[in-house]
Amino acid sequence: MELTLELREESGLQWVLERLTPMSPFGRAAARSLRWYGPGDEAALETELDNVALALELWNAGGAAPAQEEAPCCCTAPRLDPSTLKDIPSLLRGLTRCLPLFHDIRGSLDRDPENPFDLVELFEVKHFLVTLEQLTMAYAKLPPFQDLAFVPMEESLDLLDPDGRRLPAFSVSETYHPDLPALRAEKAALERSIRAASGEEEKAALLDQRHRLTVREDLLELEVRRDLTRRLMARRADFLANMEALGRLDLFLAKAKLSKRYGCVRPALSDDARITLRGLRHPQVAEELLERGEDFTRLELVLSAGCTVITGANMGGKTVSLRSTVLSLLLCQCGFFVFAESASLPLFHEVALILADTGPGSGGLSSFGREVHLLDRLLQRTRGRRFFLALDEFARGTNPQEGAALARALVRYLGTLDCVALMTTHYDGVSDVAGAHYQVAGLVREIQGDEGDDPRSRIARRMDYRLQSAPPGAPCPRDALRVCRLLDLEPALMDLFQADL
Amino acid sequence: MKKLLAPLVGDAPMVTAIGLCKNAGKTTALRRLMAELEDECLGLTSVGRDGEATDLVTGTEKPDLYIKRGDLFATARGMMSLCDVTLEAAALTGVMTPLGEVAVFRALSDGYIQLAGPSAAGQLRPLCASFNALGAERVLIDGAAGRKSLAGAGVEGTAILCTGASLDRNMDLVVAETAHVCRLFASRRPADAGLAAALDGCEDRFALFGPNGEPWELPLDENGLPRWNKLPREKCALWVAGGVTDPLLKTLARRGAPVTLAAADATHVLAGRNVLELFTRTGGELVVRRELSIAAVGANPWSAYGWHFQAEKFEDALRQVLTVPVVNVNEED
Repeated sequence: MELTLELREESGLQWVLERLTPMSPFGRAAARSLRWYGPGDEAALETELDNVALALELWNAGGAAPAQEEAPCCCTAPRLDPSTLKDIPSLLRGLTRCLPLFHDIRGSLDRDPENPFDLVELFEVKHFLVTLEQLTMAYAKLPPFQDLAFVPMEESLDLLDPDGRRLPAFSVSETYHPDLPALRAEKAALERSIRAASGEEEKAALLDQRHRLTVREDLLELEVRRDLTRRLMARRADFLANMEALGRLDLFLAKAKLSKRYGCVRPALSDDARITLRGLRHPQVAEELLERGEDFTRLELVLSAGCTVITGANMGGKTVSLRSTVLSLLLCQCGFFVFAESASLPLFHEVALILADTGPGSGGLSSFGREVHLLDRLLQRTRGRRFFLALDEFARGTNPQEGAALARALVRYLGTLDCVALMTTHYDGVSDVAGAHYQVAGLVREIQGDEGDDPRSRIARRMDYRLQSAPPGAPCPRDALRVCRLLDLEPALMDLFQADL
Repeated sequence: MKKLLAPLVGDAPMVTAIGLCKNAGKTTALRRLMAELEDECLGLTSVGRDGEATDLVTGTEKPDLYIKRGDLFATARGMMSLCDVTLEAAALTGVMTPLGEVAVFRALSDGYIQLAGPSAAGQLRPLCASFNALGAERVLIDGAAGRKSLAGAGVEGTAILCTGASLDRNMDLVVAETAHVCRLFASRRPADAGLAAALDGCEDRFALFGPNGEPWELPLDENGLPRWNKLPREKCALWVAGGVTDPLLKTLARRGAPVTLAAADATHVLAGRNVLELFTRTGGELVVRRELSIAAVGANPWSAYGWHFQAEKFEDALRQVLTVPVVNVNEED
């Protein structure tokens, strides 16, 4: 499945990815092309999650912060042996110190082996190998990540470091070519004479001689570089495999660091098409609320096959619950921990989010036209495959009678497909045909005397954002009047509105 | 070799050679200084591209840089094939130029090099730090040439200002222009500690302060430029982050009220001498956030355009108006 920018931004995945901090160019490349774990990849995803869990344990053991909460997650990762715990911080530092030092040299390796590396490229290759050696030494002492091993490249490093000093500098050493020592000695002697020369003419003649030697030296060095390049390029596949392993290791650490920072939990993979999310939150919304001094109300959701409908007051957090669910699914299927207290999620071939609000550039389509178009494309794409679909107030952009009928028809139709769907709506009668029905608890709190406050805070204070199970067919709440009043709508308009109701 | 420049730069850890124009003898001065500092491990770099055998701008014959074994230098990767010393790649700087990333090399033999270093001012300091980490005792920078190229182009440490006949056919004008630049380089930080501290923290394009550094409101127009007619009548200090130009100084001079103008450093003052005189005559004062110093002025009586001055007359004329030492960098031993 393709994670489009639109989906990433609307779900909040982009916000999460911007907070992912891989340290090496290889980790950043891995983060840019996240693997999607679809149905059938359960074992691979478990391995990925095991590795993230192990990385999280390393961070917990290595960081100053106390071990993270006893997450009720079903980690099957190898628990760290308490006796090794005290060494973890320094070993982990061994990794985190090395990772940022890597340069991206994939471009240099993308060449014809007959086209020799220049001196700086050889320096970069040596620098890569020296850093890799340091990192693998630390890595070897840590509990191993699954399916993650580095190809030993000592031989290549020895090639670039003939004196074995492992210094981060490279020159074409005299040991590379039998003719080099004599040539360089002769050149050095000439240079001494040039320094001592007094007359301009004498100096010019010596410089001329020196020039001829530098040309020969250059040719010998070229021969050496050709030879080194051929021998290094023979190991190209190993270089690339190590870079990929570095990228994966870096990404495990980055995912785990993110989980530690936000208290994420490992999702369990459910065998049936049933989504269970407890203590679910949307980190982006939660952060915005925190800036205004408000708390995010964690959500509880159980979704089974077919379409579940959410109804409730305006500004009651219906869209946020859609986005939170989609974000959890996307994160899980990209091998991340999720922003919840516990999560049990199935794998889908595709996860889609269709929001009612059109951004700019909807290709000449109205909001209704766009919804229908996106829905149609999704249904065609996923024919016969399991998918998840979240719809925000579907068909609200057309006349209410037809819109409600279309929404009802869609809920019925989705019930016949192999999918899990979640739809918010203000239309009555849609929940009658849904598999399940949730309602936002709504504007339940009576509060007086905060008339001067920010309308958003006044609504938030009165709103109970929790989702409650409601019977199918329960009418949609009528809260628009109260919401308008709390938003301080023009009194004259409010009077007319009320009289009309 | 007689030590002309080395005693003048003393133990300054960084020396930048700058020119008032192209062909002012900047590279010659640098070569002379390198020769005089033969016992030190030097780190060499340039602001932008330099060290080529013919000047890329004017097409004139240029002196090469011939360095000694053990010296370090930073140049763009694309310049590597034009250097004939035996090279050791020692570090990469992450600074990108049109000729590739700037790398730090160690010379394993004597030989010619071509410099193409960082062109942004902020990139020189970290480079100097890596030179020092690799063992350089002193860093020499081949700086920019021409007043406009000099602006903010990273003069670090002490400077050797090169001036010469290439600037203008008229010797009096060359002398006056050199004196003007020396006067600018003599600008000091504000005497008031409060104002000096306020300038250090300043990140805006323009800012207004009271005489003791208390921030005052500066009304700006829709282009982000100050509304000059709204400046207060009492004594105040105006911070200008960018270039200080003729129109700006004229505007301030016309105001008729004394103002202290604070520039980032002397190279940011692009205004000509007449306008600067007008500004100071009307009570204006020029201060800088970062002080620069000129260790010596190198005089090159030869121009690249066919005319030249009498060497002694030129040097004498410079000595008459300058307080800093004037040297002829071409002087034989």
